[in-house]
Amino acid sequence: MSEQPPRPEQGPEDALRPHTFDGIGEYDKRLPNWWLWTLYLTIAFAFVYWFYYFTTRVGPDDQTRITREISRIETAKLASIGSLTDEALWKMSRNTAFVEAGRATFNANCVTCHLASLRGKDENPGAVGASLIGTKWIYGGKPVEIVGTVTKGTPRGMPPWGPVLGTRRITEVVAYVLSYHEPGEPVEIVASAVAGMK
Amino acid sequence: MPTESGRPSAPPAPSLDSVTTIRADGSKVVLHPADVAGRFARWRRVVGWALIAVFACLPWIRAGGFPAVFLDLATRRFHLFGSTLAAQDLWLLFFLISGFGFSLYVVTALFGRIWCGWACPQTVFLELVYRRIERWIDGDAVARRRLESAPWTASKVGRRALKHAGFAAVSLLIPHLFLAYFVSLSGLWSMMRASPAGHWGAFAFVAASAAVLYFNFAWFREQLCIVLCPYGRLQSVLIDDQSLVIGYDSVRGEPRARRHRAGDAAAPRAGDCIDCHRCVAVCPTGIDIRQGLQIECIACAACVDACDEVMDRVRKPRGLVRYDSLSGLAGRPTRWLRPRTAVYALLLAIGAVVAAAAFSTVRPATAGVTRMVGAAYFYDAATVRNQFFLRLVNKLDKPQRLEVALRGGTPGAALTGFGAPVEIAPMGEEVRPLVVAVPRAGYAGPFRFTVVVRDAGRTFELRRDAEFLGPDPDLLREEAADAGARR
Repeated sequence: MSEQPPRPEQGPEDALRPHTFDGIGEYDKRLPNWWLWTLYLTIAFAFVYWFYYFTTRVGPDDQTRITREISRIETAKLASIGSLTDEALWKMSRNTAFVEAGRATFNANCVTCHLASLRGKDENPGAVGASLIGTKWIYGGKPVEIVGTVTKGTPRGMPPWGPVLGTRRITEVVAYVLSYHEPGEPVEIVASAVAGMK
Repeated sequence: MPTESGRPSAPPAPSLDSVTTIRADGSKVVLHPADVAGRFARWRRVVGWALIAVFACLPWIRAGGFPAVFLDLATRRFHLFGSTLAAQDLWLLFFLISGFGFSLYVVTALFGRIWCGWACPQTVFLELVYRRIERWIDGDAVARRRLESAPWTASKVGRRALKHAGFAAVSLLIPHLFLAYFVSLSGLWSMMRASPAGHWGAFAFVAASAAVLYFNFAWFREQLCIVLCPYGRLQSVLIDDQSLVIGYDSVRGEPRARRHRAGDAAAPRAGDCIDCHRCVAVCPTGIDIRQGLQIECIACAACVDACDEVMDRVRKPRGLVRYDSLSGLAGRPTRWLRPRTAVYALLLAIGAVVAAAAFSTVRPATAGVTRMVGAAYFYDAATVRNQFFLRLVNKLDKPQRLEVALRGGTPGAALTGFGAPVEIAPMGEEVRPLVVAVPRAGYAGPFRFTVVVRDAGRTFELRRDAEFLGPDPDLLREEAADAGARR
């Protein structure tokens, strides 16, 4: 029946630890070997980690990694903006695919203030944004300047769209606006796009 | 140190003073629980396979165009039985977790560690899958013990290789199925056919999980329940004398005597326990239940089945080892209703009601209104205006048209840019500028207003409150007067 004969229960051969809580004492037993091994491994890991990151500094510290990541992003940004010239933007403004993508972005975001006609305050004095049609510009009318205005926003309430739309969609939306203009047309800088308004 | 019996493969005698499965030198004992048959074994098999079936089938069942349970972390959409939650609904998780907590309190106070023995994946997979593979290849407990101490012959190597290959196969299958809950079966299938380089995270997750499962089920086993599991520890403090546990009726069983038969005149005063050690032989954590309630006991009821079978054979009533409370085992009645169970149940009920109310607020879309960066307000000769971003999230897998309107606020306050409904792609997200303007003449200081978002069919409505900020109206009037005077 049973493989093991009945045996008397083990006596408390192990020493009792000196503490008791609510009358409950504790034997000084050996810890399980598997448990000890996990402890030794974590200790070993701590030394390797310390040696790798803090003694030899083979591993980059957080500051280095953040700086590296930021500079990588900055480089990528510069690379995409660096290629943006007035000529390139004018070329995009004649490209149907770019202009159509820009129209979608414009109609989802910019229409709120500049209206679907792009004429803003010229069409309706109650509109928030200035007209984007014609030769009068407040913050510069060269294609690259328009990209800068859209990206960084204006003190009169246009928010910086850079973080919202990103470089590609801003380029498209500027191409869409430029599709209403011609290369080489005059640019007149005014304080306000609406005559008689400060 | 060898065990007292001198047979290295036999576990030490169970005692209350130490864990049976850890020898005095710290090494782990490999337990070989004997086969057990009986009503609880049968029902646990039914429950266990039903749970495995649920786990294995859920990714295959579709509801509302998605797998019944699909926690799509990549796009942060959580599909549960036809309804879809977005990352914005994560706060509901609080009710899920606290609900689990309260359920645990109630169930443990009433029925003890019923979870451990009947529903825990550790027990279910170990007993129904891994130990079955071991049983098929290595034979019963006696054969397994013999094989363990046998020399490494070709036959033993072959058996061991076969067994561990089986363990490894199951250990790989489980995390693959688990991953399907997060990437869907089609996503899993395409990942499995592609190179791991394309999805390192998922590959590492499955590989590491498989390794941990293999280690756990092939070797670690009962150590998880005894040493690692925080749930087991927590339950120990939730149990009282009235909770259902598995116990030995010492009043009826003692003094135990071997070869005792009913009506045996030689032992008139002997108890019902014939000291056959069947309850110890079948225990998956290596304890002797006759020593009382112990922390190692996972309430699997194997010893109940084992003892019932023996009692049947010696023609004694069943239940010498049984499900009962400590109070019941001592011959007193069990009180099911007591302050502890009442309070736990009340908390669970309150939690369930609040959770139901919270889940009823979930809509097929979410809306958020945040102020644009830059100046808080702008004004010109005609208007005072505030600029916000409205973030709309479509949680359905079909396009939605949402109407946006303004409610409340100063008379004359108007929303620009939302003449037409906003069309949002399936599962899409749209951020639109939302400009609120008030005619300068009608402006009378800051006010609160509500942005109302409705679907075209008017089946639901979302409301978001926001504050319109602006200058002191008196200053604005003074400035206008100055400008008029200068002109």
